[in-house]
Formats: sequence, structure tokens, C-alpha cells
Amino acid sequence: MQDDTNAADILMGDVVRLEDVLSRDSVTSVSKSFFTLFGLPVRVISHEGDLLADVHRDRPLCNYLNTSPGGERACAQTVGAVRDLEPDGETIVHPCFTGAVYRIVPLHYQGRPIGRFIIGPYVPAETKRAPASLTAVDPSIDAGAARGHFDRMPRVREDIAEQLSAHLKGVLELLVFSGHRAQLASTMQVASVRENYRELAEKNEALKTSYDELKQLDQLKSTFLATVSHELRTPLTSIIGYTEMLEGGAAGALNEGQSDFLETIRGKADQLLGLISSLLDLGRLEAKNLELLNEAVDPRTLLSDIGSTIVPNANRRNVALEIRVASGVPKIWGDPVRLRQILLNLADNAVKFTDAGGEVELSAEAGELGGGTSSGLGAALFAASRPAVILTVRDTGMGIPEDKLPRIFDAFYQIDAGTTRTHGGAGLGLSIVKQLVNGHDGKIEVTSSPGEGTIFTVTLPAAHDDD
Amino acid sequence: MQVDFAAKELTVKLVYYGPALSGKTTNLRAIHWLGTSKACGELMTLETQNDRTLFFDMLPITVSSESGIKVRLKLFTVPGQVMHNATRRLVLQATDGVAFIADSQRSEAAANRESFLNLKQNLAENGIDPDRVPIIIQFNKRDMDDIRTDEELEAIARQSREPIYTAVATRGYGVMQTLRGLIRETWSKLEEEHGLHEKFGVSPVRFMQEVESKLKHDPRQQER
Repeated sequence: MQDDTNAADILMGDVVRLEDVLSRDSVTSVSKSFFTLFGLPVRVISHEGDLLADVHRDRPLCNYLNTSPGGERACAQTVGAVRDLEPDGETIVHPCFTGAVYRIVPLHYQGRPIGRFIIGPYVPAETKRAPASLTAVDPSIDAGAARGHFDRMPRVREDIAEQLSAHLKGVLELLVFSGHRAQLASTMQVASVRENYRELAEKNEALKTSYDELKQLDQLKSTFLATVSHELRTPLTSIIGYTEMLEGGAAGALNEGQSDFLETIRGKADQLLGLISSLLDLGRLEAKNLELLNEAVDPRTLLSDIGSTIVPNANRRNVALEIRVASGVPKIWGDPVRLRQILLNLADNAVKFTDAGGEVELSAEAGELGGGTSSGLGAALFAASRPAVILTVRDTGMGIPEDKLPRIFDAFYQIDAGTTRTHGGAGLGLSIVKQLVNGHDGKIEVTSSPGEGTIFTVTLPAAHDDD
Repeated sequence: MQVDFAAKELTVKLVYYGPALSGKTTNLRAIHWLGTSKACGELMTLETQNDRTLFFDMLPITVSSESGIKVRLKLFTVPGQVMHNATRRLVLQATDGVAFIADSQRSEAAANRESFLNLKQNLAENGIDPDRVPIIIQFNKRDMDDIRTDEELEAIARQSREPIYTAVATRGYGVMQTLRGLIRETWSKLEEEHGLHEKFGVSPVRFMQEVESKLKHDPRQQER
């Protein structure tokens, strides 16, 4: 019936050995205090027979009797018998041949015997004179001397001795209770910590597995995107090519209606190609497969190129376009095509989301990159580390709500479905921009006030003077 | 259950489970106060400064049967606060029976449900089948305002698989009935699984008579 589950139950353990919950020092200390107060010798013995405390003073009577062979033998027999007595529930009062007695008191804990203590030898106050057995153990014992020593033995009334032993029993059993309580508490504490650790370790393992699975899925998604985009682009290129040929009259002259249709087909196909290229870029960027050139790019040229690209659209929408390049701006260290892609995307968005009469400003100035806080703890270590170029695209458009700002760089994220319907786009542009900026070891930040406008700030490393 | 053949002893573990502040420790205090001084040992409590159970409380009760077998019932409480789940699971290890102490207040219904689900989960994690372990339910705090009515509890009891008891543990009402019910259910299950009557000569009826006589109100309680 004893099964394995019981072995794991840490609370069912009882006090098996007295010394497991009581230190010898504390038992001796209590016994000494008892001896000092009442003058009665105390010995505490565990259930297994180990002597845990022995506080007594040699009595002249005992010393005297031990000088004779018969007395020594009788003393040894009495002491041995007292020591081996284990009371079964009730106190035993064991007589000594000298007329003294030993009181043997059992110690119990939770209904189980755990040891005993012995008080004595002492002479019950009720005993008026020494018994004949005192001198009968050896003919060499002098009766007068023995009785003299007997009269000087400690005397206690039996009812008082019973009260004193009940008190000591209570104190020792309380010590056992406290000791067991402390033992269980510490065992539980260690077990609880271990159990908590086990639980956390299991959860960590589960989280890691799930993280690895997600990473794998993400990798699969990127591969899928790259493959599908590539497969879509090939036929689309043919569609565009043949459309251009038709427009160029390769298959004969076109009437006005046919030209209009072909222009629409071309426009939509270009749009589709742009989207597919974006998907390809994203796939490559996420797979870290996009190779970036590194060369010095003049921000003035970059901004004026962007300006001339978007100005027709800005004019159509009646949005003023301004370009500012501060003096002394260094060149940017990066890939000219990708830098153009970054700026064009931001500038296109700015024009797209600004109503007629608004304004879009593109600017460039010198800055620093790689710095954290410029003051406070460890400022010396976090100071700006390298020169940079700060490109800013500011508009006076609708702005972005504060709670949406943290997610605008996520792929496929749209601030709301209405925006998509009104302005088009797949929600890939900003995600690509951010990854391209990261690819240049730069950083991009955005601040916005709904109704007032948005400012995108791109900080990119500057080229060295000799580049 | 632990069996010590040499000492002719059976040790049975009973756990008081339930949401925080439902009155688990108060039940044990009341049993300790009301039980006979010969049967009940010292109540061991491990509490924080705010009287919240930190690890467990333990109350040993010893019942001797006519056949000479000594049955030691060890009553434990668990810490009710949600954060102590690991400790609760440890205390619940190898339990033979569970008294679920629910709070009768309507506002605590969700806490009762959550704690009961937690009990089932922790039993299962300890390898104990929640459908097979004896469980009784006590609706405590019957003296509070806005509690489930007696009629509601009677209706619940008619549908419930677990026996239902009511109590005001702070005043000792119902705690002994709950304990006797828990012992009866547990003993009956142990008899079914281990054949205690045949192996140890302890009949369930005689054992419960022994429990009744040992646990009835002790006029010497004032000595405590």
C-alpha cells in the first residue's frame, strides 16, 4: 500500500530523531537552567538511546559509595537500569538502593514517542531516613558516614517533583514543536523555490520552442514572398514590353480609344510592377540579402532629383514644395539608388497626405549619429560617435495619431482601411524605408500632430572628407 | 496514505483548499479549539505578519480504533493567494481527501470557481485523478451579507457531485460537520481502494463512531 507518491510528500515526514529538530546545545541549556533553579540533575535521551544532555553534579553520597566494590557495582546497575528504561506513556519513578529515586519522563510528539528525560537522583522529602539497603551492598561501608551523606542529598516533595517534570516536559516538547515547524518551513521554502524554478524553466522552454517555430515561419514567409514576386514579375515585364510595342505602333496604327486603353494598361502594369518590386525588396531586406553599394552621395543632388520627380504631382495637388540644404552639409555614405528610394517614398507620402494649399519641405543638414543621451549617467560613453547627415521630410498634412506611430513601420500596416481606399498602397513603403535606413546604419524617427502635419527625420552616416 | 506496519499506524492526509481569505486556517483553528485535547495535537501555523498563510497550517488528529490500529489524520491548509501556486501544489501532494472552503458571498463566486479549477489542475499535476479523489465543499461565512441563500445552496447541493456543507468558521459552526464529512468520504474511498476492514479490521462504521466520539465537543477546551 506504500506507494511511490508518498516518497514525494515532504510534509508527511514526522520527527524521526529528536536531534534532527533540537540542537544538543539548546537541550543542554534548558537542562542547565532547570538544574540551577531546582538543583535536580537532568539527562535527556533520544528514542534511539543517544544522550543529548547530561547536567549533574557528583553527589558526595555517590562518590563515597563508589569507593567500595559493592557500592560501585550497585550504583552502576542502578544507573544502567535507569538509562535503559523507556516508559510507555506514563512517567516511571525508579528507586535507588540508597533511598533516592529517579523520575523517568517520556517525551511525545504528535502521538509518537521521541525520547525521555531523567530527573534525579533526589530523595523524596517524604523519606525521613536512609533504608537498610544503603549499607547492605558492601560490608566495608561505614553506616554513619553513609547516612551523613544521605542527609545532604537534595530533597523534593513528590508532588513538586511531578509538577517540575511536567514543566520540563512541556518546555522540551514545545522546543520539538518549534524545531519541527522551522524544519518544515525551511524544507517547504526550498521545495517551493525549486518548484517555481521548474515551472519557469518549463515555460521558458515552451517559449523558446514557440519562438523558434515563429522564426522558421517568418523565414518561410520571406522566401515565399521573394519567390512569388519573382514569378509575378517575369510575365508582367512581357505585358509591359508588348504594351510599349503596341503603343509604338509595332502592330499598326492605333486610334485614340486604343491608345487610351493601352495607356491605362501600362499605368496599372507599372503600378503592379512597383508593388512587386517592393515585395521583392522587402523579402531581400528581411532575408538580409539586399546588397547596398557604398559611395559618397551629395544630398543637394539627391534632394533636387527627388524634388523634380515629385513636383508635377505636387503642382497637380496644389501643394507647395520647398527644398532647403544647409551650408556645409557633408556627403552621405550609402547606396544612391536606395537613398533615392528612401527619400522618394517619404516625399511621395508627404505630398499624397497633404491637402491642397499645404506645404511639403525637404531639407538636409549636418548632424551626428550613434549618440544616446548627451547628459546624465555615463554621458562620456554615450556621446555622439560619428558625423551624419539629417534629412527631413516635413508636411502640413493630416498627421498620424500618437497611438498609431509605433506601428507605422510594420509591413502591411495601414493606419486605417479608409486611408488605403483613399490613397492606395499596400503598406509596404515605410517598412522598406526603415529597413533600408537600418541597412545604412542610420536611424529614422517620426513626430506628428494630427491635423498639423508629420515630420520624418532620417539620419544617415556622412562620408569621410576624402571619399 | 502512509502505513507503518510496525507501529500499527495509518496516516491519512487531508487538505483544506480554497481561494484566499475563504477561511481555511479559521476552520483548522476552530477544530483545534473544539476538538478533544486527547485527539487533537498542536496546531502548527506558518503565517506572515498579516495573518496570511505562507506555506501551510497543520493539525494532527489521532484516532485509535478497537482493532489496535492507530489512525493519524493530518489536516493541512494551503496558501490561498494566487502567487503561491507552487506551494499549493506541494502541499497537495499525495492527499487522500480535500475540503474545498468556498466563500458564500456572491462577490466571491468567481474566486471560488478559479480556485476550484486550480485545485483540479494541481491534483492532475500531482498525478491524482480529480474525479477519483474525495472532495467535499464547504460554503463558509454564512453570517455575511449578500451571500447565496440557503435555498440556492440546497438547489446546488441537489445537483452537486460533492457533498455540500455550510459553516461560520469564525464561530465554529459547521466546521466539525465538515471535518466528519471529509473523514467519512475519505475513509470510504480508502476502504474501497485498500480494503482497510479486511486488512486491519477497521470497519468504516466503527471507525466513524470512533471519530464521532473523539471529535465531539470537549468540555475541557477551556484548558487550552
